[in-house]
Amino acid sequence: MSFLAGVDPEIARGLDFFSVELMNAVGDDPPKAREMYQPIWDALAEELQPSEIEIEERMIAGADGEIMVAIYQPPTPAPRGALLWIHGGGYIIGSGRNDPHGIGFSEHVGCTVVSVDYRLAPEHSYREALSDCVGALNWIFDKASDLGVDPTRIAIGGASAGGGLTAGVSLHNRDHAAHDVAFQLLIYPMLDDTHDTPSGHAITHPTVWNRELSFKAWRMYLGDEYGTDDVSPYAAAARAEDLTGLPPALVTVGAMDLFRDENIEYAQRLMAAGVPTDLQVYAGMYHGAEMSVPEAAVSRRMRLGYRDALKRAIG
Amino acid sequence: MSFLDQVDPELVHAVDVMPAERFIAIGEDVPKARQMTEDYQSKLRGALPYTDVTIEETAFVGPDRDIPVVVYQPTNPAPRGGLLWMHGGGYIVGTARADYHGIGFAEHAGCTVVSVDYRLAPESTYKESIADCFAALNWMVDNAGELGIDRERIAIGGGSAGGGLTAGLAHYNRDHGGPALKLQLLLYPMIDDTHDTPSGHEITHPTVWHRKVSFEAWKMYLGDEYGTDDVSPYAAAARATDFSNLPPAFVTVGALDLFRDENIDYAQRLMAAGVPTDLQVYPGMIHGAEMSAPEAAVSRRMRTEYRDAVKRAIG
Repeated sequence: MSFLAGVDPEIARGLDFFSVELMNAVGDDPPKAREMYQPIWDALAEELQPSEIEIEERMIAGADGEIMVAIYQPPTPAPRGALLWIHGGGYIIGSGRNDPHGIGFSEHVGCTVVSVDYRLAPEHSYREALSDCVGALNWIFDKASDLGVDPTRIAIGGASAGGGLTAGVSLHNRDHAAHDVAFQLLIYPMLDDTHDTPSGHAITHPTVWNRELSFKAWRMYLGDEYGTDDVSPYAAAARAEDLTGLPPALVTVGAMDLFRDENIEYAQRLMAAGVPTDLQVYAGMYHGAEMSVPEAAVSRRMRLGYRDALKRAIG
Repeated sequence: MSFLDQVDPELVHAVDVMPAERFIAIGEDVPKARQMTEDYQSKLRGALPYTDVTIEETAFVGPDRDIPVVVYQPTNPAPRGGLLWMHGGGYIVGTARADYHGIGFAEHAGCTVVSVDYRLAPESTYKESIADCFAALNWMVDNAGELGIDRERIAIGGGSAGGGLTAGLAHYNRDHGGPALKLQLLLYPMIDDTHDTPSGHEITHPTVWHRKVSFEAWKMYLGDEYGTDDVSPYAAAARATDFSNLPPAFVTVGALDLFRDENIDYAQRLMAAGVPTDLQVYPGMIHGAEMSAPEAAVSRRMRTEYRDAVKRAIG
């Protein structure tokens, strides 16, 4: 069965959302990919304006330098829940700026969203990306009252590479900082550097996040660890052996996503470890289509599914 | 972590709603188990609010006996979608008077529901159960006009053992040239006679459907095939090797259900075969609690989502 035959007809037109040229550039010419990608994402965020959400960009102190964060504040009275949002982009592209997810979560949940502009590969490896996200999480806990945030209602979330970082930060936090994180929102997370699953082999379509591209991204992100048995679980959470004691989770993914089976297996392992876990998998859905074809019925269901999950957890 | 610690707090009161004796009786005293089930079902029926759905108990002439069915008709005009419903009860207990589901689907999806009184084990085996369900499906389609059903909008569905029959019937129907189906609705289906998964080992609590009682039920249902390599995929759909050309599926299960991992694995195999498949797994949810604790938020979510799935498919 071809990839196209399996895609929900309403979202088929979104397969042109990213060009083959952009997808190839992610693996071969990251600066060019970033230049091509950001205007597309900016336009999505623009469409959500005007909104009642106030957005402020500021620099915060990280472990080894300053980190840019964008703070989304809804009109909801304090104390609010808060979401540390970690953007997607294969660990190679994307930014903490102008993320349509920030407005979406802030409006739907009434929570503060802090979107972190973590350092990207190949200029940096997972260590710096993780350090920036952990730094931003620590900052939210430290500044909870200044931000109008209830420290018992702080969640971490991200999509794609940001979902992978969410899982990694959750593991790192359990092992090191042990903040009481209320929830981890894993939206089609990039967790597994081997993609050795049925979906990991099946999804090769050139304009969706695909096997070949994903390996190129992992190579840049993991550096010397790529292809070895020593990949850190903080970089590729599917490598983690112990999933006990992690925050409650939502895992959501499309049935036509490269990450489908690795995501489902991670959810199963969370459940087996006693972590309260919601799992939502949507027929005909491919990677990121709930943002690129937002009005499709399946896109609405997926978005509502993960936004409601966050609302139940910290709303 | 203990089983009870993981149950959603809103459901804890429902854990012991069924006395352990009922499950013990399934293995030791089937008539008693059936009586206890009927007492429970009639209590559930008594608690249902007034409905405009009409309920008719009738029978049709099957290939080797008259097969009783219960027909639930909503008030919306024909032609309507039609759902063949297979009740749960471990293949051993239960009857077609599944008002909770019959009324629920008829009201929510505006469809006609035909609930079939298939033969039960140990008096019969899966061969008779599947034959009765297939006969009921054909009766529904042959009498579509009279029932007010649109032949193009037929779905099959069931909970627990009824979900297992639904999955088996989907294979049987494909292999025997039966009618086109819009959906197979698999609510925590009983599909795997080995339960050799993490959840299949983990769930041993005596008042929820658990490992020991499940093996006793399988033994009665499979007859001579039990424990062999020759279990029919029509009896235990997890044994199937060909997942091509099956109807679109909706699979849902609780994270604290014995069947969790076998259900998730089954959904993954459907997806890998290109069958449009939705999968929803709920944290803290136990087997059948959306009926035994209907007010709980997680029960409402599960019920709404599986009823919505029927509405999308045949509504």
